[in-house]
Amino acid sequence: MTAYVLQRLALMLVTLFAIITLTFFLMHAVPGGPFVSDKMMAPEIQAAINAKYHLDDPIWVQYLNYLRGIATFDLGPSFKYAGMSVNEIIAQGLPTTLKVGVLALICVVSLGVPLGIVAALNRNRWPDTLVMVIATIGVAVPSYVIATVALYFFALRLGWVPTFGLDDWRGYFLPVFALSGFWISFIARLARSSLLETLQMDYMTTAKAKGLKPGQILFKHGLRNSLIPVVTVLGPVVANLITGSFVIEQIFALPGIGRHFVLSITNRDYTAIMGITIFYAAVLMVMIFIVDMLYLVLDPRIKYREAR
Amino acid sequence: MSDIHVAPEMWKPAARIAGAAEQIAAPSLTYWQDVRQRLWRNRPAMLGLGFIIVLVIAAIFGPMVSRHNYYDQDLKLSNIPPVFQVYEVTDESGATTRFFFNSGNLNLYEVTDDGRIAGLIRGKKDLLKKQTVFAFGDVEVTLNAATQTLTRGGGVVLAAGGWQWNMSNLFGTDQLGRDVLARQLYGARISLTVALVATLVNFFIGVFYGGIAGYLGGRVDTLMMRVVEVISTIPLTLYVILIMVVFNSGFFSVIIAIGSVYWVDMARIVRGQILTLKQQDYVAAARTMGASTGRILTRHLLPNSIGPILVALTMLIPSAIFIESFMSFIGLGVTPPEASWGTLTSEAVETLRAYPYQMFFPAAAISLTMFAFNFLGDGLRDALDPRLRT
Amino acid sequence: MSQPLLSVRDLRTSFFTSRGEVQAVRGVSFELRPGEILGIVGESGSGKSITCMSLLGLLKSNGKVIAGSALFEGEDLLQLDDRDLRRLRGDEIGMIFQDPMTSLNPTLTVGEQVIETILRHRRISRAAARQRATELFELVRIPSAAKRLRSYPHEFSGGMRQRVMIAMALSCDPKLLIADEPTTALDVTIQRQILALLRELQSRLGMAVILITHDLGVIAETADRVLVMYGGMVMEEAPVRRMFARPSHPYTRGLLASIPDLRDGTHQRLTPIPGSPPDMRRPPAGCPFAPRCRNAMAQCVKALPPIYEVDAGHGSRCWLHHAEAPRVEGINELVPA
Ligand SMILES: Nc1ncnc2c1ncn2[C@@H]1O[C@H](COP(=O)(O)OP(=O)(O)OP(=O)(O)O)[C@@H](O)[C@H]1O
Ligand code: SF4
Ligand SMILES: [Mg+2]
Repeated sequence: MTAYVLQRLALMLVTLFAIITLTFFLMHAVPGGPFVSDKMMAPEIQAAINAKYHLDDPIWVQYLNYLRGIATFDLGPSFKYAGMSVNEIIAQGLPTTLKVGVLALICVVSLGVPLGIVAALNRNRWPDTLVMVIATIGVAVPSYVIATVALYFFALRLGWVPTFGLDDWRGYFLPVFALSGFWISFIARLARSSLLETLQMDYMTTAKAKGLKPGQILFKHGLRNSLIPVVTVLGPVVANLITGSFVIEQIFALPGIGRHFVLSITNRDYTAIMGITIFYAAVLMVMIFIVDMLYLVLDPRIKYREAR
Repeated sequence: MSDIHVAPEMWKPAARIAGAAEQIAAPSLTYWQDVRQRLWRNRPAMLGLGFIIVLVIAAIFGPMVSRHNYYDQDLKLSNIPPVFQVYEVTDESGATTRFFFNSGNLNLYEVTDDGRIAGLIRGKKDLLKKQTVFAFGDVEVTLNAATQTLTRGGGVVLAAGGWQWNMSNLFGTDQLGRDVLARQLYGARISLTVALVATLVNFFIGVFYGGIAGYLGGRVDTLMMRVVEVISTIPLTLYVILIMVVFNSGFFSVIIAIGSVYWVDMARIVRGQILTLKQQDYVAAARTMGASTGRILTRHLLPNSIGPILVALTMLIPSAIFIESFMSFIGLGVTPPEASWGTLTSEAVETLRAYPYQMFFPAAAISLTMFAFNFLGDGLRDALDPRLRT
Repeated sequence: MSQPLLSVRDLRTSFFTSRGEVQAVRGVSFELRPGEILGIVGESGSGKSITCMSLLGLLKSNGKVIAGSALFEGEDLLQLDDRDLRRLRGDEIGMIFQDPMTSLNPTLTVGEQVIETILRHRRISRAAARQRATELFELVRIPSAAKRLRSYPHEFSGGMRQRVMIAMALSCDPKLLIADEPTTALDVTIQRQILALLRELQSRLGMAVILITHDLGVIAETADRVLVMYGGMVMEEAPVRRMFARPSHPYTRGLLASIPDLRDGTHQRLTPIPGSPPDMRRPPAGCPFAPRCRNAMAQCVKALPPIYEVDAGHGSRCWLHHAEAPRVEGINELVPA
């Protein structure tokens, strides 16, 4: 078990390291990127970056400097906003992104899983059909389409919710809905097929042959096993909720990290792009680690399988 | 007990038998015939396939036969809807003018009898009274901007005639006066090409990588799979974005970005297939008979892995379409005036308040395509794996 | 002769699939006396498992018992409602399945899986149930029983898992134990241990056993009486000695022909008779074995033979036992010594 935890931890760090390295060298490949001296740049930013990364040093020294910065949670100065650090940009957007993202995650789990279960237990009857139709729509229609259509009808036409911002609590509805729509559907489909598969397992027949009651069989033997695949995808789900938020924050004009990210892309604020990417990746690694630990609790086989 | 009457000739040996066993057994279908039959019976999957075929044909030939192209702008004829209500005004000399009123930009456009747009009708703006006066011969029509009504001469409200489909621009025009249908067709071309090429690139990388890992096995395999594990934990959308930043927006950058990133699942599938197939006897047999590695891979292993790979491919295409449109939507995809479903949607979002209907065609196009590929993919998976059905 | 414990009459079970009705069991009748071991053999797909699953209402949702009765201690199992049937399952009737790898829930400890069965049927405390589970583990000879209760199935070998399954099935002292190919998935040496254990437990606890298997050797060593199934029907039924000494059905003879010598103790799987079993979506009107039978006659194709009682307690479903049928050596004519 400790071996498994350590292994996961190692994988997480290796991945993060790979991401940082890849990001650094990709950005370095950009003509006019952050690690080349450029006369066009605002002098104070040039000075700040120079002070930070010593642009006259060889590339690997700069790389080490950058790594050292990250190790102390310092993502460096912004490339476009004089006097602003990437840390500050992230800190500005974080609350908004976090609020919407966490709400969306709650929706995904608390709606997706029950819908999938209801569908599986009513296989080929109307609740199943209904869930599957909705889930298919949710999986097929891109989130930005859902977002704009919802924006038009509920905000512009009906005026039930504000068109932008989160000042009003009703402002959360559409962004959270648009962000989580795909993943609710995805999780519902996954939970359904996983439960259907579990119901086919031999040990479910055993449970029945022991005379257990249907509720006992479903909750004790069925759900736990069928939730394992659902838990495994929660890591990627969080990743996608994060990256999905670029568009959602854009459409609803929410001042979150995603919007800053898109802005820094349009502004070519290279250090901000790098910093936010690495921040995202770090958040993600932590989430995946948490999911791995959750997995450990749910599936006792893991301890042995992974600890070769 | 044994008193049942049986005619004596019934004790003769039964007419034999060679074919009898087969006759009684169900007509046994080969696996692939079976798959095809199940797929054929799956209505959503077949509808999806039909839609995809129509779409591909439209994307290839549509731009060739269209009267418009995707880049010609005509600002005088911008934001024309695909359908409108026609008004008619007849002046004293008996000449009738047909026109429609575009409530989004408060313009009147003349319409020919067969529904084509003849041009913008100029009027005199009265900014104080917030109204515009149009002269048709000696008849004056007044447009009240606040109430959006048209009145004639002495204050008679002009009644709208029937609905008319826009025969000049079947899907209307966008904010720069470009034909939406032509842009849609062109956008389909771009989106489908990007998706297809990117999927193929992923396919080859994945098959190559997974094939080598699975075939060589041992420590090489372990190492290669560790790399895959690392890659699959990286949030790939971020990487597509970074690559787009490095290469700058554009058609080829999108293909490179998407094509180089999403091969991990394919590699896993191929490796898994090859590992199981490697155990099987006929591969060993081929090897003892001196078949080369390449030959074993192409002749024995790949044909058997084709099912799961096919499913993964059909699922990869819609994700590629989606990611391309996503990139275009946040301004990293193809560059204007080129069009893709993402740029078309984001252009429509810009005019959402004034012309909400402009959202309809791009949203419908991408959604239907996603439906089609999803249905086809689901159908394929069910057809290949009958266990999951009843 | 004592009262039968279980008496099955004309059981018919079908599955309704997208490709039509599969008639898996087509009129099976048999009796089981208390303490008796009944072996059921037959090729794959002959309906052995479905027969037993039908009795306990364990069919998949597309399966349905069409007709028949199954009196267990005077109650018709097929007429019981769900709740009463659930009371019987795991209590009066225990069941063991073929694959101990997949029949245990991988995410619960084996102890929990035994204990929940006991708690379901007995009004005792959890501690008492745990005590009982430990005794059961000792009974099926799982070493360091008390400790092993806390293990998960994947921490056991196949043979040990099957012991867990047996402990679970016996946890409430059932009157009837149904063992569906309990050894098929195990190594040969483990198979022998498990069978020996089953035999020993049966003689100690005295429950009746239905033992389904492919392995005629297992039948010869274990069963009191044998049922040979084919195409969803009972083809031959006889006391075990008689079955091996005087098989009276061409199908049984085909099965036995493939066994070199039982007495030297080599266990031998059935080697298939040429041809394939009938498609149960369109079962033949006559004898289901006719397409593969060396002795098939015009009458066999036309009509289903009844079961002829060729000796006391020995029935055979074959037209050759008709008084006017032609003589065939070994079946309706004595083999010359
Ligand atoms: N869920 C199902 N749907 C359709 N047909 C089924 C289903 N389950 C079983 N059958 C059919 O019922 C028939 C009898 O199956 P059964 O499992 O009783 O065979 P068996 O004698 O136990 O074989 P084996 O030795 O392989 O266990 C088979 O022809 C099988 O195809
Ligand atoms: S009834 Fe006819 S076909 Fe069937 S086993 Fe007897 S002889 Fe063979
Ligand atoms: Mg069976």
